[in-house]
Amino acid sequence: MTTLPILLCVLMFASVCGVLVLGFPVAFTLAGIAALFAFVGAFLGVFDLGLLLAFPQRIFAVMSSEVLVAVPLFVFLGVMLERSKVAEDLLGTMSQVFGARPGGLAVSVTLVGTLLAASTGIVGATVVTMGLLALPTMMRAGYGHAFSSGSICAAGTLGQIIPPSIVLVILGDQISIAYQNAQYSKGIFAPDTVSVNDLFAGALIPGLVLVMAYLAYQAAYATLNPARAPAVKNGPDRSVSLRGLASALFAPLILIIAVLGSILAGIASPTEAASVGAVGALMLAGHRLAGARAPAIVVAALCLIMLLVLTALFDLRVQREALPVAELFAFGGAVLLAGGLALGIWSALRQTYRARDESGERVLVSVMRSTLKISAMIFVILIGATLFSLVFRGLGGDKVIEDFLQSLPGGTLAAVLLVMAVMFLMGFFLDFLEIVFIVVPIVAPILLQMEVAPGQLMHPVWLGVMMGINIQTSFLTPPFGFALFYLRGVAPDAIGTPDIYKGVIPFIGLQICVLVALWFAPELATWLPTTLYGR
Amino acid sequence: MFARAIKSIDHLNRTLGHAVAWLALAMVLLQFSVVVLRYVFSVGYVPMQEAVWHLHGLLFLLGAGYTLLSDGHVRVDVIYRDASPAYKARTDLAGCLFFVLPVCILTLFVSWDYVLRAIYDFESGIWVLERSPEFGGLPLVWAYKAVIWVFAATLALQAISMAGKALSYLLGRAATYPPDLAKGGERT
Repeated sequence: MTTLPILLCVLMFASVCGVLVLGFPVAFTLAGIAALFAFVGAFLGVFDLGLLLAFPQRIFAVMSSEVLVAVPLFVFLGVMLERSKVAEDLLGTMSQVFGARPGGLAVSVTLVGTLLAASTGIVGATVVTMGLLALPTMMRAGYGHAFSSGSICAAGTLGQIIPPSIVLVILGDQISIAYQNAQYSKGIFAPDTVSVNDLFAGALIPGLVLVMAYLAYQAAYATLNPARAPAVKNGPDRSVSLRGLASALFAPLILIIAVLGSILAGIASPTEAASVGAVGALMLAGHRLAGARAPAIVVAALCLIMLLVLTALFDLRVQREALPVAELFAFGGAVLLAGGLALGIWSALRQTYRARDESGERVLVSVMRSTLKISAMIFVILIGATLFSLVFRGLGGDKVIEDFLQSLPGGTLAAVLLVMAVMFLMGFFLDFLEIVFIVVPIVAPILLQMEVAPGQLMHPVWLGVMMGINIQTSFLTPPFGFALFYLRGVAPDAIGTPDIYKGVIPFIGLQICVLVALWFAPELATWLPTTLYGR
Repeated sequence: MFARAIKSIDHLNRTLGHAVAWLALAMVLLQFSVVVLRYVFSVGYVPMQEAVWHLHGLLFLLGAGYTLLSDGHVRVDVIYRDASPAYKARTDLAGCLFFVLPVCILTLFVSWDYVLRAIYDFESGIWVLERSPEFGGLPLVWAYKAVIWVFAATLALQAISMAGKALSYLLGRAATYPPDLAKGGERT
């Protein structure tokens, strides 16, 4: 290979990074620069423009991907919980209950972050919500500025790594494509598959380990520095708030367990579970907006539970010749219950349509429009990145990177470390999506052909989880971490930027510990998917 | 004249976006119905599941222009956020002219044959009207593919509008940049 295409690849990558910082939307910058370099390459005779004819096929693949359908559904779920203030209620109740203990407010921020994370996975939304709600409370209670802002930023980024999160759906999709390519290159034509379910299962334990580490740190900090994490005085009546906690927690917890459980148990695909979660969020929101006086919605929730029981007890398949009498009754009951469910959904739709948010827009309408914008944003970036990697490959860039990674003196460890370092640096100025869309298709097929131990190939789930936690850490790292920007945007002036920087450092340390632990004990990520799905 | 063209483009994409937003809800409800039918009554309708996939594609393809209108495409805003209006206008003008428009034209160009082949075969003169390969699937794959054209076209139009707004600010014909989104009833 001559040096010209290599030079073009390097230039292309460098100009994307350079131009992105100027601030034009990422999706179009990626696609535009790719198009530009395709024509320059063709002009210099090192790029075949015919390759671009594959572009519409790639777009169509995004349009007809069974996995990516889950993304708009999860977005709808998350935005609905945010706009209907279910999240606010959660945080309020939690801090009432835990606030009476030293460090309790920080603990409730972490717990709410975990719960929200498990349903949305939108970093900005979580950090902003908690920055607006929890930060003033913590300051009033006399919490240290650094400690409170660090806790909020860290809790906000949990959304990416704790399933079911949107970024894990996307990362899973990309990793599974990369894994297939890696196996084809190895000459395996009946490849193993790795799915989004595998990645969800793989990320669960490391994610929970992170949460535990956060909580342990916060408890230790509160014990060592009681002055900076004091108990909230004149705490509320505990018996009342425990009941409040139960009622505020109950429904969201059920929702999360239902969504995550059905995916992990292998019963439902992420798309199916996401739609159940979205309808659940709709009902929760309707209930909340009706001031908890929405009998139709409560009845519908009961109908849903009874429907599940009925399904478990009876055989309700309709396409059969003869039905025993008992099953006929069960079938009739199921139809009735489904009707009750539909009525409840209708009622929830009416409640969310009638209610208006602070800017005077109908909640349902604003949720739909936000879902549209966030989905369009995600998929247009995906389309732009597709064009980018198409051109990058056409110029021979993947070959260059492959040769380079394989020639590194330190073997697999060096290759993984290098890729992780590059992704970490990219996390300073790119969002999760762009990094995943640009880096994974190019490096993952190469890394997945490398051996971690003699005769043992790298596990795709492990690689995905490592990448996920790595980028999450990068979002926390000063001076450019995304979460820090979001918090800076909503934090009162009394909190200085150095406070935020100081506050996140311990959490970065914890993240790095988990990454190191994953390196030495890959089972943290691979055990659950192997146990659940046997691969 | 130009100002009116900008207005009509914005109006077109806003109307389209507001209409398409309902597809998000339709997607949720339809997919939920598929789940209930499948897990409770063990029936599956291929067209219903395919309709969800088509809604998913329509959502982001038809919503892309609207998202550009309401500044919903994510930017790396380290510099952009606190920059002067003139900087923003220059960046957006250049981005629209050098990135969005060429990419839209390229997309239209390379997808032209791809979509046409799903509709009509010129060699044999037969209407192909590609349908889903699944038995009992929807017969609309050709129309779904043709949405790629609509995607490129609406996005290109919105880029023209955006470039026009940036230009009129730079020429001193508009007082602010970016134009106040709240007036159009939008927010991100």
